[in-house]
Amino acid sequence: MAKVSVLNVAVLENPSPFHSPFRFEISFECNEALADDLEWKIIYVGSAESEEFDQILDSVLVGPVPAGRHMFVFQADAPNPSLIPETDAVGVTVVLITCTYHGQEFIRVGYYVNNEYPNPELRENPPLKPDFSQLQRNILASNPRVTRFHINWDNTDRLEAIKNHDPALGCGLPLSCTPIKDLGLPGYIPGLLPENSMDCI
Amino acid sequence: MSPVLQEDDEKDENIPKMLCQMDNHLACVNCVRWSNSGMYLASGGDDKLIMVWKRATYIGPSTVFGSSGKLANVEQWRCVSILRSHSGDVMDVAWSPHDAWLASCSVDNTVVIWNAVKFPEILATLRGHSGLVKGLTWDPVGKYIASQADDRSLKVWRTLDWQLETSITKPFDECGGTTHVLRLSWSPDGHYLVSAHAMNNSGPTAQIIEREGWKTNMDFVGHRKAVTVVKFNPKIFKKKQKNGSSAKPSCPYCCCAVGSKDRSLSVWLTCLKRPLVVIHELFDKSIMDISWTLNGLGILVCSMDGSVAFLDFSQDELGDPLSEEEKSRIHQSTYGKSLAIMTEAQLSTAVIENPEMLKYQRRQQQQQLDQKSATARETGSAASVAGVVNGESLEDIRKNLLKKQVETRTADGRRRITPLCIAQLDTGDFSTAFFNSIPLSGSLAGTMLSSHSSSQLLPLDSSTPNSFGASKPCAEPVAAAGPRPAGDSVNKDSGNLFGAEVSSQQNRTYVMSYQPQLEGEHLVLVTMCNQHIANNPFKLVVKSDRSYMCTGLLDLSFGSEGDNNGKLCHPWGMSVDKEGYIIVSNHNNNRILVFRLKEQNLVKELRPRDLLESSSDSDEKVPLVKPSSLSKRKLELEVETVEKKKKGRPRKDSRLMPVSLSVQSPAALTAEKEAMCLSAPTLALKLPIPGPQRAFTLQVSSDPSMYIEVENEVTAVGGVKLSRLKCNREGKEWETVLTSRILTAAGSCDVVCVACEKRMLSVFSTCGRRLLPPILLPSPISTLHCTGSYVMALTAAATLSVWDVHRQVVVVKEESLHSILAGSDMTVSQILLTQHGIPVMNLSDGKAYCFNPSLSTWNLVSDKQDSLAQCADFRSSLPSQDAMLCSGPLAIIQGRTSNSGRQAARLFSVPHVVQQETTLAYLENQVAAALTLQSSHEYRHWLLLYARYLVNEGFEYRLREICKDLLGPVHYSTGSQWESTVVGLRKRELLKELLPVIGQNLRFQRLFTECQEQLDILRDK
Repeated sequence: MAKVSVLNVAVLENPSPFHSPFRFEISFECNEALADDLEWKIIYVGSAESEEFDQILDSVLVGPVPAGRHMFVFQADAPNPSLIPETDAVGVTVVLITCTYHGQEFIRVGYYVNNEYPNPELRENPPLKPDFSQLQRNILASNPRVTRFHINWDNTDRLEAIKNHDPALGCGLPLSCTPIKDLGLPGYIPGLLPENSMDCI
Repeated sequence: MSPVLQEDDEKDENIPKMLCQMDNHLACVNCVRWSNSGMYLASGGDDKLIMVWKRATYIGPSTVFGSSGKLANVEQWRCVSILRSHSGDVMDVAWSPHDAWLASCSVDNTVVIWNAVKFPEILATLRGHSGLVKGLTWDPVGKYIASQADDRSLKVWRTLDWQLETSITKPFDECGGTTHVLRLSWSPDGHYLVSAHAMNNSGPTAQIIEREGWKTNMDFVGHRKAVTVVKFNPKIFKKKQKNGSSAKPSCPYCCCAVGSKDRSLSVWLTCLKRPLVVIHELFDKSIMDISWTLNGLGILVCSMDGSVAFLDFSQDELGDPLSEEEKSRIHQSTYGKSLAIMTEAQLSTAVIENPEMLKYQRRQQQQQLDQKSATARETGSAASVAGVVNGESLEDIRKNLLKKQVETRTADGRRRITPLCIAQLDTGDFSTAFFNSIPLSGSLAGTMLSSHSSSQLLPLDSSTPNSFGASKPCAEPVAAAGPRPAGDSVNKDSGNLFGAEVSSQQNRTYVMSYQPQLEGEHLVLVTMCNQHIANNPFKLVVKSDRSYMCTGLLDLSFGSEGDNNGKLCHPWGMSVDKEGYIIVSNHNNNRILVFRLKEQNLVKELRPRDLLESSSDSDEKVPLVKPSSLSKRKLELEVETVEKKKKGRPRKDSRLMPVSLSVQSPAALTAEKEAMCLSAPTLALKLPIPGPQRAFTLQVSSDPSMYIEVENEVTAVGGVKLSRLKCNREGKEWETVLTSRILTAAGSCDVVCVACEKRMLSVFSTCGRRLLPPILLPSPISTLHCTGSYVMALTAAATLSVWDVHRQVVVVKEESLHSILAGSDMTVSQILLTQHGIPVMNLSDGKAYCFNPSLSTWNLVSDKQDSLAQCADFRSSLPSQDAMLCSGPLAIIQGRTSNSGRQAARLFSVPHVVQQETTLAYLENQVAAALTLQSSHEYRHWLLLYARYLVNEGFEYRLREICKDLLGPVHYSTGSQWESTVVGLRKRELLKELLPVIGQNLRFQRLFTECQEQLDILRDK
């Protein structure tokens, strides 16, 4: 059984300008004191086409974690626009929050992010080269996609099983959505994830 | 929360349907079972795990993050144990009667018996099946457990030695194909065991196996496909007596529900040849499980098609259920014993013989109703409490979280955030702040309590218990200081919790002091009312090497540096013992020097003659002297006693730490040898004495405000120095002079007394009038105390005297503390004199003794490490929460132990009998202690509690004895030794208070009536 379960992730300051930092307030529950720190990461998916454009915005250690309910705010700088393909700058993409313990990822929370020009003129006639200073980032906070993985909490020698575990999910993606590439990080069986990990919108 | 059985309730949106969704299992859940007590749930699944669940009462409703968001958990069920042993899917779990064991069976062909008192201990693994084990049932009297498997056998195992009693195969020979489950069941009277899926003449049956000889002569026939589930009604029934019909006694019978793959359900009574009812095609798919409600009139059936059906029976259909008492009588008459616990329910059919009794019963019911509504309110508020941490709402915290949160950099430069703890988990196993330095791994309460740190769990007893009693309970820190080295797991006994002290101050702030002993990083968790306080946990970095602490002004200096004998040569370690001997270790010449404090002369120098030369350079081999018990080699230096205290420079520190000397070096060998010569066989007790001060002020009480001021050697009248004593009571002042210096003073509302040099003790009235000529004490004063008109003097020679100065009698005469202090290095940590002149000594080991003047004995009245206090659980007998705050000398001595006891009882599942015994013993201790302390208020409190517990648990003999003593002889006789009062309370008045309590249990109606009638006779006289 997972020692840590995420109770809630609140998206702070949303929507916000493209260049402002991401802020997530994460509350989680731990039912046994952890010997080591948790590692949280925010990953920004630059392009749906390829993992190449994934940017790890920040990673932070959280600890010590005694048993109980805890919360913290995870703040990370905005993605580097120069690493985002121009064609993908405007539109829907994904930001991921992952948490690992002893290098094993046990939860992944995905949010759709919509980057668009609030200015109607710009929206009608977007500049060829995206103007990031004008872009507004809107995280679809009401619909987190939560994937939980079964990991070995006691020692680091092996991963007991990679098991997707979320009974509440499994509705598949609505067709209207931009198809999103596999949300998996390297090290996970890619085919496993998109099917079951997505909640319906 | 009562089950939703009515359609109206089902439609009412305000009534929650699903109370909790637990999504911890990693694969299909095959079985879930309540414990008999209803406290726990056990579930088993394809993930090979069994999880034991307990309801968490503290944390309010929540949702599962990431699920559709609307499913709020109304109740919180928390997994308290995960049982891992099976190598395949767990198919069935079953709690034994009495909940002492939990059995599970699996497709790994085994049955595992778990110790339910001490999860995850395995008591036995039953091997013998050669196929997937798919069903389990316990014999209701706990002698057997039966399992049924795909290997076409049903096996019965003995619980005595966990060996196979019998294996039944014949009825299953024809069985073909498989069913998902084979849930068999044992009848509540124990006579019959009914299997799932058996065959008789190629028809599917449920085989009836008789306990007597395991005969298989009968079966339930009629289902068209394999029987998957059999479940007996928990009740035993008897024929409903119809009006007019002859009341001929009929045999009790049982009721059994059978579910099958054919999607139909049949209900049978063992007294009928045909089924009572058959419901065909209840579901679209096979029936998977059946459960009867506790009252035996409802049945829940679930199917593989995903639906659950509820069926409701009337008593006309099933018959009259026997009470639990009748049921256990059947067990007892048949098997000699029963594991079924006696409950209140068994009294429900008793006839009320006395109208007064009826009154009390009704009142009690009303009270229960009130309580229910009160708890309902409480739960309502509990949810809101979750949103408040230490007076700060969660919203406020969230606003400032980013600013407030602690962020550090790790050694490799990474950001590290310390999360803010917003709530604690309340199931015992994880309650870190409460029992943080104690191994919690499922050990019984008794074992954990012997741990030395238990006395420090609640370090609130030390300084100002009175102010705690007065302040509001919500503001009290009920648990404090949980330091442990960072990164250590909770289970590791760090044991470094040293005397965290909490002192209260008037402006409702609390000061907590705590001195960690181990070097390194510590986390200190401070909780108030189970809530973490802001900025919790605190991180402390403890560095002890070469940090010198100055505790006060320089008191004396001794020794001088040099290489010669008796000189200090680069001193590295030093320690002071009780007698004032100072031991210093030299770094550079490997010597130990012993000084005497009073004379500061060198008593002994230990010289390591045979030391290796090289040792002087290496740090490890240097004789380090430290007050520690950690060293491998321990050497205690006992030094001869100074028979008479010489005048000199007594230390001001009134609490000298007992010190033992530990030496870790080759030098120890030599030191040990020479130390032998030093040690003296006798060790007389010596208590610290206060030194003369220029002036001091002593607050006697704050309401009425009264304080004493002492000025020594102020006035010189013709070269004679006088000392002045001033007393101010609510603005009125008086003063007087004494000829010798005043060492210590004490006062109460009735007297003021001072102890002077030359062993003189003077006593004054509240107006400053001298009441007695100076009393000459046998030895110098150590501590002086006043309560009411009682004066207590504790001398340096450890003798204790108490006088009543108004009546001018001695209460305690020069009683030695030898019996309570001898033979150990304990010190007196707190002294108390009760209103009745009973002296109480709190010792550093957590024990408290009071002197009983009438018996001339020291009586143990409190023990911090008393395991009884921790195990006792009498919450059910508490009239209300605030009654716990009964104040008095006993409460002062014991501090909050009673509170922790209740906590501990929640954390550990102790067998009921053990719980009863410990609770009884504890309550009896409390009653006796209150009596000895002559604390009438507390005596009444604990006596009522004790009586209430006796009533609740049904202990008649003891209850009767109490009543008899309180009542006394109804017809007065001169020869009677009976006292009509106890500690100032009239016994018969106490009995009148007890009567309503006794009236709450119908079982005691005879006793109730007897007492009441006799009281009436007495009143009429």
